[in-house]
Amino acid sequence: MSTVLTTARDVQSAGDVTPAGPVRRPRSRGTYWLFLIPGTVLFLLIIGGPLVYNIYLSFTKWSGVGDPRWRGLDNYSRLLGDTVFWTSFKNSVAMIVAMVVVPTVVGLILSSLLFDYLGCRFGAFAVNVLRGVFYLPQVLPVVVAGIVWGWILRPDGTFNALLESIGLSGFTQDWLGNPNTALPVVMLVMVWVQIGYPVVIFMSAMQRVDPELYEAAELDGAGWWARFRAITLPQIRPETFVVALTCTVAALKVFGPIYALTRGGPENATNVPSYFSYATFFKKLDVSYGSAIATVLTLIIVLVAVVFMKLQARSEKAA
Amino acid sequence: MSINRSRRFRLIGALLAPIIALTACGSSGSEASTGSTGSTASSTGTLKLWHYEGANSAMGIAWDKAIEIFKTEHPGVTVDFERKAFEQIQQNAGMILSSDEGPDVMEYNKGNATAGLLASQGLLTDLTAAATEKGWDTKLSASLQTTVKYDDKGVMGTGNWYGVPNYGEYVMVYYNKDLFAKYGVTVPTTLAEFTAAMDTFVANGVTPIGMSGAEYPAGQLYYELALSQADRSFVNNYQLYQNAVDFTADPIKYGVDTFDAWVKAGYISSESASLKAEDTGTAFQAGKNPMIVSGSWWYGRFTDEISTFDWGTFLFPGNTLNAGSSGNIWVVPTASKNKELAEDFIDITMRPEIQNLIGNNGGVPVAADAGAITSPKNKELIDNFNAINAADGLAFYPDWPVPGYYDVLVSGFQSLINQSKSPTDVIGAISEPYATGVESIKAG
Repeated sequence: MSTVLTTARDVQSAGDVTPAGPVRRPRSRGTYWLFLIPGTVLFLLIIGGPLVYNIYLSFTKWSGVGDPRWRGLDNYSRLLGDTVFWTSFKNSVAMIVAMVVVPTVVGLILSSLLFDYLGCRFGAFAVNVLRGVFYLPQVLPVVVAGIVWGWILRPDGTFNALLESIGLSGFTQDWLGNPNTALPVVMLVMVWVQIGYPVVIFMSAMQRVDPELYEAAELDGAGWWARFRAITLPQIRPETFVVALTCTVAALKVFGPIYALTRGGPENATNVPSYFSYATFFKKLDVSYGSAIATVLTLIIVLVAVVFMKLQARSEKAA
Repeated sequence: MSINRSRRFRLIGALLAPIIALTACGSSGSEASTGSTGSTASSTGTLKLWHYEGANSAMGIAWDKAIEIFKTEHPGVTVDFERKAFEQIQQNAGMILSSDEGPDVMEYNKGNATAGLLASQGLLTDLTAAATEKGWDTKLSASLQTTVKYDDKGVMGTGNWYGVPNYGEYVMVYYNKDLFAKYGVTVPTTLAEFTAAMDTFVANGVTPIGMSGAEYPAGQLYYELALSQADRSFVNNYQLYQNAVDFTADPIKYGVDTFDAWVKAGYISSESASLKAEDTGTAFQAGKNPMIVSGSWWYGRFTDEISTFDWGTFLFPGNTLNAGSSGNIWVVPTASKNKELAEDFIDITMRPEIQNLIGNNGGVPVAADAGAITSPKNKELIDNFNAINAADGLAFYPDWPVPGYYDVLVSGFQSLINQSKSPTDVIGAISEPYATGVESIKAG
């Protein structure tokens, strides 16, 4: 009722002044800033403030109590010569392979197979079940998954028992305790954890691709691989960028699985920057050095995010 | 505390408040006490008390009783108890104690990196006068007093009293009597007998010592081996920085070399680098290893949970010095508004009835009446502790001297378990962080 009245009045009013113009000028833009206040306050409180303070601490020497003492760039020059720091970043590259490269490539192929091949042959139910199975590790709390994998991979765990039962007892070992196997094994676990995410995103992306494109390609005799390359990949490029960006950020700041599986060991073989920062900050009580590690990690993540977004923007412009 | 510092901590407190609130596992905190101080302190107000012992542990049971007694003796005082998680207190202690929201009395870790750090920053109350007045100084041995005194740099051993321990702990050998009998092994009394016993187990395809490289047991075994060649001056040099420690010489070299030799001899599994302390305990409980070298904190649990075989303990063969110390300590934050109430509570925990409760529930009391300990097993545990204590044999723990040294030792001894580094390399890996850390502590 009130809507009708308002509309009638507005129309009348508008007719008096500018019949062809808008009914009423929008309210001052300043009003909209009010809606940003809660988000801004929360951002400043939870992210902005601690980030600035963290950066400040990285230029000091502080154990968590008492007064921080200004030390300039000491912590950063110490970082440059710290082999554990470099090892942790080298391991970050391994995490990017395990959490971005492999899941994205395998996820693309899997989702395309599910959507374009299995869906046609076995129906939506079978595809939904398989998609659910792939996504299950994402639903599990990562620490729970880490602990269970830790049990499986123990020297007396299920995996070694399985190897023994099929006559491969010569291959049994302390998978997470051996510095040569710990990182590859953690990478495999991370692939398992991560794979469901791109599969779900890519499958939903494929649903918005015009089916006529596939039908036309099929009529022209294009096989699955040709359709995948010529239609699927270019059409879902925005989602691929999003998956790659979010997974890269997740890989750079991975913490939970490392904490649950190896605590960065053995001999720092699986240490990553976020765990290194945590251990330095909270366990060694070298708060300022831990802050420097966290600051560098933050800078790298921001840099990676900016590069990804620029690439995405350029790609969209080209398309 | 300067005004600026106070403001800064308030800011940190404000920033951390939501996090602390989310992670708090105890009951919600109440307002800080409005109770008075001085002569009327014991009649009204609120005593805010934090600790992190399990409700069914020896200390949890005894401290519940202490709270009960405190309430009876202070009818006008409300006890606001919160059971915290250890990490919750440890990781936030510095900030919480700088605010007005901290407790009046709190359990805290002993050592330079924990209580010492807080004491050096003026966050803990000097309890020296109370220790004399209430007689705590006569109830605690010299070894136990080491961990309650801190100098102005937070280094333990000398200076003022900043805490009071109720219980002690020490490292010993737990053994499976059934497996010893099965393989005809007797309890060793010397290191030579110990290795001979382990040879017997190895010859029978049994790994003698349960081990976990990912946590403290490896470091504690190494330290026991080093202590077999050490005297008190080494402990004072290593733990209290009285003189420089040469890692390339005995006793440290002996500890590292022997640990390596024991891995090579099969006394320790080379597939134990990824295992945690819990794994060592459960493997022993399952009868997989005839021995583990670990602390008295397992005692109560083994008593409760091992029913399929007979077990016992002996001190590390031949050692006069053993890893061990006072347990965690009661501290009174400087910001406490009820220091006298806090001291009253601590005093109650030192009474024989509370100490005996600790002893009768599988803990190691520091001032119990030995005659009041009813269980023979508990009596054995306490008698062994008293024997070490009487010989001034508590040598603390290998990771104590430097913050973060725990991870250094874990990594070093994982290398020996994996045989991925030589003992010389491991000595290098554990000596450098020690030297750097000590230098940093000495510099303040």
